[in-house]
Formats: sequence, C-alpha cells, structure tokens
Amino acid sequence: MDKALKTNEQTTVEVKPLKVKKRKAKSLEKQKSTFGWLFILPFLLGFILIYLPMILSSIQISFSSIAYEDIGQVLTWVGFENYSKALLEEADFTKTLVECLGGMAFDIPAIIIFSLFMAILLNQDMKGRAAFRAIFFVPVIVSTGIIESIDLQNTLAQLGDQVSNLNGDGVEGAVNAGTEIINAIDVERFFGSMKIGSELAGVVSGWANNVYNIVNRSGVQMLIFLAALQSISPSIYESCKVEGATGWETFWKITFPMISPMILVNLVYTIIDSFTTKSNIMMSFITTASNEANGKPLGTAMAWLYFLIVMIILAICAAFASLFVFYQRREK
Amino acid sequence: MSFSEKLKGLFAKKQKPEKILTGNAKIDVETSLWERFKAKYFNMFFVKKLGWIIFRLVLLIGISYVIIYPYFSKVTTSLMAREDFVDTTVLMIPRNWTLDTYKAIINDNKYFTALFNTTTLSLLCGVSQTLICAIVGYGFAKFKFKFKGALFLLVIFTMVVPHETIRQAMILRFRYMDLIGIIPQLNGWIFNMFDGGSISPETYEKFTDFIAMIPNALNTYWPMAILSLTGLAFKNGLYIFMMRQYYRGVPDELEEAAYVDGAGVIKTFVRIILPMSTAMLVTIFMFSFSWQWTDTFYTDLFMPASGGNILLNNIVSIPKSLDTEFAGQLAYETAIRNGCGILILIPLLIMYLFGQRTLIEGVERSGITG
Repeated sequence: MDKALKTNEQTTVEVKPLKVKKRKAKSLEKQKSTFGWLFILPFLLGFILIYLPMILSSIQISFSSIAYEDIGQVLTWVGFENYSKALLEEADFTKTLVECLGGMAFDIPAIIIFSLFMAILLNQDMKGRAAFRAIFFVPVIVSTGIIESIDLQNTLAQLGDQVSNLNGDGVEGAVNAGTEIINAIDVERFFGSMKIGSELAGVVSGWANNVYNIVNRSGVQMLIFLAALQSISPSIYESCKVEGATGWETFWKITFPMISPMILVNLVYTIIDSFTTKSNIMMSFITTASNEANGKPLGTAMAWLYFLIVMIILAICAAFASLFVFYQRREK
Repeated sequence: MSFSEKLKGLFAKKQKPEKILTGNAKIDVETSLWERFKAKYFNMFFVKKLGWIIFRLVLLIGISYVIIYPYFSKVTTSLMAREDFVDTTVLMIPRNWTLDTYKAIINDNKYFTALFNTTTLSLLCGVSQTLICAIVGYGFAKFKFKFKGALFLLVIFTMVVPHETIRQAMILRFRYMDLIGIIPQLNGWIFNMFDGGSISPETYEKFTDFIAMIPNALNTYWPMAILSLTGLAFKNGLYIFMMRQYYRGVPDELEEAAYVDGAGVIKTFVRIILPMSTAMLVTIFMFSFSWQWTDTFYTDLFMPASGGNILLNNIVSIPKSLDTEFAGQLAYETAIRNGCGILILIPLLIMYLFGQRTLIEGVERSGITG
C-alpha cells in the first residue's frame, strides 16, 4: 500500500507543470469573478444601502404605530394590531381583495392568450405590418401612470356629481372613451328587441370594455412573444411543411413548445404587473387607505398582506406552469 | 408574389395548345382560361387562405381602432368649444373648433416649465438607468462569482415588491439622507430613552438638533437620481433582466478575441459590448424614458406639486381662465383634463414615432428567449 502511495506521489510530481497551469486558469477566473462583483456593484450597493433599509423599516412600520414628536417620527411596536385591523375591522379589505383576485383569474390568462395570438399575427408576412406593429405598441409607451390617473380623476369627478346621467349619450360618451368603449345602455338598446335582461347587457358591456383593458396591458408581453417567435429557426418550419403538417399541428408541435419558456416569463411578468399597477383596485384601495389613515401604518400592513398573497399566487402559478415548459437542449 | 401580380400573370400568359396523339385522332387539350381560373381559386386551400387573410385584417384593424379611439376622441373633444358640450347633436367632431383649451392649459398651468423639468428628469433617469442596467445585466450574464443566483433573485425581488408596500418607508429613507437609513430607528430609541428619563432634556435637544441637520432629499431630484443610479427605480428589475438575457446570447468568443488582443474587461465592455448592443440600449432607454415621463407614483412621492418643482403630471387641473360653471360642466372638465393628458403625451408620441422601429428591432433581436 505504502508503495502504491509513493508511486502516486511520484506521478503527481510528473503532473506538476499541469497543476501550475491550472492555478493560472483559476486566477484568471478569480479575476473575472472580481470583475463580476464590480459590474453588479451599483445594484448591490443600492440594495444594501437603500432598498434593504426601506424593506426592513417598512416591515417595522407595519408592526408599529407612528407618533409625531419634535424629534421626528417615532415608531412604537404594537405587534399584529395593524394586521388584525386590516383583516377584521376594515370591512372592504377582504372584499376588495377577493374581487381583485377574481378579476385577475380572468384577466391574466386572457392577456397571455391575447398577446400570444397577436404576436403570431404580427409576426406573419403581410402588407402594413410595420404600421400595425407601431400602433400595437403605443400602449407600451403611453398607457402607464398618467393616463390612468387622469381617467381615475374623471371617474371620481363623475361619481362625485350625483346629478350627472352616465348614459354616455353625445359628447359625454366620446369624452369618456378610454374608460369604456361601449356602455351598458347601448348594449341594452341593442338587445332590447330581443327581450334580454339588463344583467346580460351589463355582462356583455363589461366584457367588451375589458377588451380595451386587456389590449392596453399586453404590450410588453406581445413584444416578448414576438422576440421569442423571431428566434425560432425557420428551417424547423420548413421541415414541418415538407412532412406535411398543417398549420394547427405546426403550432402545437413546434411553436408552442418552443415559446413555452417565454409563456412562463410572461405569466410571471403579467402577474407582477397586474398586481402592482396603479389601476388595480387593490392598489388604489391601499393608496386611499394610507392617505386616509394620515400616516398611520394601516396601509403598509395591508400592502404587506397583499404582497404575501401575490407571492403565494406567483409561486403556485410559476410552479404549475414550469411543469409544462419545454427547454430546447443546447450544447455549450 | 402578391395577389394582384398573380392575377395579372394569369391573364397575360397564354399557353400554347399542346397536341397529343392518341391513336389516330388528334385531341386538343388546351385548358381554357376559365378552367385554370377555377382550378386555382375554387378550392378549399385558396378559400381558407383568403378567409384567414380577411379575418386577420379585420381583427388587426378592429384592435387598432380600440387602441387609437380613446386618443382620437380625447383630441377631438379637447378641440371643442364650450357650446358643443351642451349641444346634443355633437358627438365626436367639434362644431366650433377652438384651441382655447390648450391655450389656457399652456398659459395657466405653466406647461413649458413643467415640460422642461420633466424632460430634464426623464433624460437623466433614462440615460442613467439604461447604462446602469446594461452594466449590471452584463455582470450577471458573463461572469461567474459566488452567490450569483441568489443575487439575481434579489433583482427579481425588487421587481416583485409592489411599490405601495415601501411607500412610507421610502419617504422616511429620503427624508433623512444618512448613509444606511438608521435615523428613523435612532429617533425612536432616543425618544423612548428621553421618555423613560434615562437622558437629560439637554442631550435630547442636542440629538434633535443633530437630526434636524441631516439633509432632506425630498423635493429634490436626488431620490430619483439615487434610485436610477442603483438600478432600483421603476421597473429597473425588468431592464436588468432583459439586458442579462441579451448579453447571455452574445458569444463568449467575441470577448475572448478582445482579451487576446490585449483589451481589459472594462475596455472590452465599453469599446465592443456597448456599441454592439445599441438597439437593445435604445429599447431600454425608450422604456425608461417614457415610463419615467408618465410616472406619477415616484414623482408624487418625492416631488409633490407643493414643493415647487412643477412636473408634467402636476399640470392636470382645470385652468382658472376657463369658467366651467354651466350645464355641460362635467363633460367640459373631463375634456380639459384629457387635453392636459394629450399635451403631456405629444412629446412622447413624437419620440415614439422616430424610435419605434429601433424599439421593435431591439426587442426582436434581443433574444429575450431564455
């Protein structure tokens, strides 16, 4: 045994120059890893010095009450009081939350399917494709923030004015465009001769108005899908054609698996985006709650509860969707 | 070949009659024009194709209408004079055209000051966010280091947390611009110590003075600048993610060639990688610029209208010179607010017109695909 070990040592001596080489390679790797740290340094610094204190103090705020002294804001630990208040005393919180989740359950699949379908259409060769693309991506640029807040102000003004009739006749209809493309009264009139109740009219107009909402919110998703579609090699489609596959088969056997990673990405993005956008009823509820609470941390507690629920939903959806994701094997 | 060309070709070419001998008889087998026409267009394949083209066109035009109509109606209603809002026969097209609404908004709401401020802010934020996200994305894409996966999860985390959650904490953080954000904590401890009687009023006063000296970053551009320079501003997680995916698609051989030629890592990044990714950078810049332009959350938080910095989202109000007390008041005020919105969006739309081709190209070539 000892002899065998010795021979082993001897062999290592022979390999020595190789080892030196390896060490050199390692030092290069080390150097590269230092540069890696250097490149992500701005984010890292920001996260540690700005973001982390904010997150921690936000958690702390949600567990305490705020008093204003001459030294500034003073936080006193109160335990779960804010949370229990939000869940048990604030009547509208759970109601809005359920309503919001219900809306999302419909909206998110609709956005994914719509943006995928539209991306496939916009990827096809046709006349005026550039113009259509330009129009379709206007919402990406334009429809965040400011327009939503203007629409919100308009709706609030109308709600505040009791006398106004919101039948959308004449100019008022045109003025309100954007918040709704058709309104229930028109649908009722249309269905009036068919003896259909006003509930159905409400549902139909709700759907139609949701179209605007969904179109407006699927711009980024469309861009991502378009990028994914462009990256599928055309030779795959060619060989499909040669084998005699129909368009339907090609979609389900080629296109769909190839872009399934992007469906996952879009799903995650859509969930995050629709849960955190300003027009989301839950977000506006929290905003008004924290405005009304006058600096009291009720809104923060609500926001953390909401965040936890969003995270759980996100995790479930992502885990479920990743079961069906197909990754093309790549050699590296 | 387009449809019209095909049709032309069909009628222009006339095949020579072919003659085939079958036994003794000569049979003329020239197919008539009608026969060929029928063979070409009266089959399921063509009908399906045509149906699909029509369906696609209708769908695209319909959805384009849904997208454009709100802007169109906002423009037309904001061009209406006051009389039109009580006139029931006016629907979309104004009867009395006027630019008074716009004049009033521009003069009373200090439109140009706001435009200048917002342009400055958006340009600064857009450029810095683009560069920082490119740098951070490159770091995540091309280097191996410890905890890389965990650190990238932190990027995703900043994307996922709704900003409403950290709203109050953000105000506190930028109210006291110390290095690590400890002051709000100190406040509580010192006050409680004072309350419990363990420090004298004099020392407490000293502390109060000291805390009052700590700079307040609210109502300045600093909070936005700091957030932009650290990749924490609005949706920067998404930009970092996009840049990382893009740089992962760049072959390593490119950098290796540069290293062999004697360029360092930073030189390679500045001289080769950045110029190469122009389309992607333009895309990110357009996102960050326009989302900063239309942002209301951060600007309301850090620069409220009362603070003296007039930004574009502060100009949405009814100008005093437009008297709105009349029957059509509600619709008129809505139209004025929409007019403000149009004024805010016009510079953005002009930029989009020039940049949309690069934007779409950038995303297409990004290979955002895993």
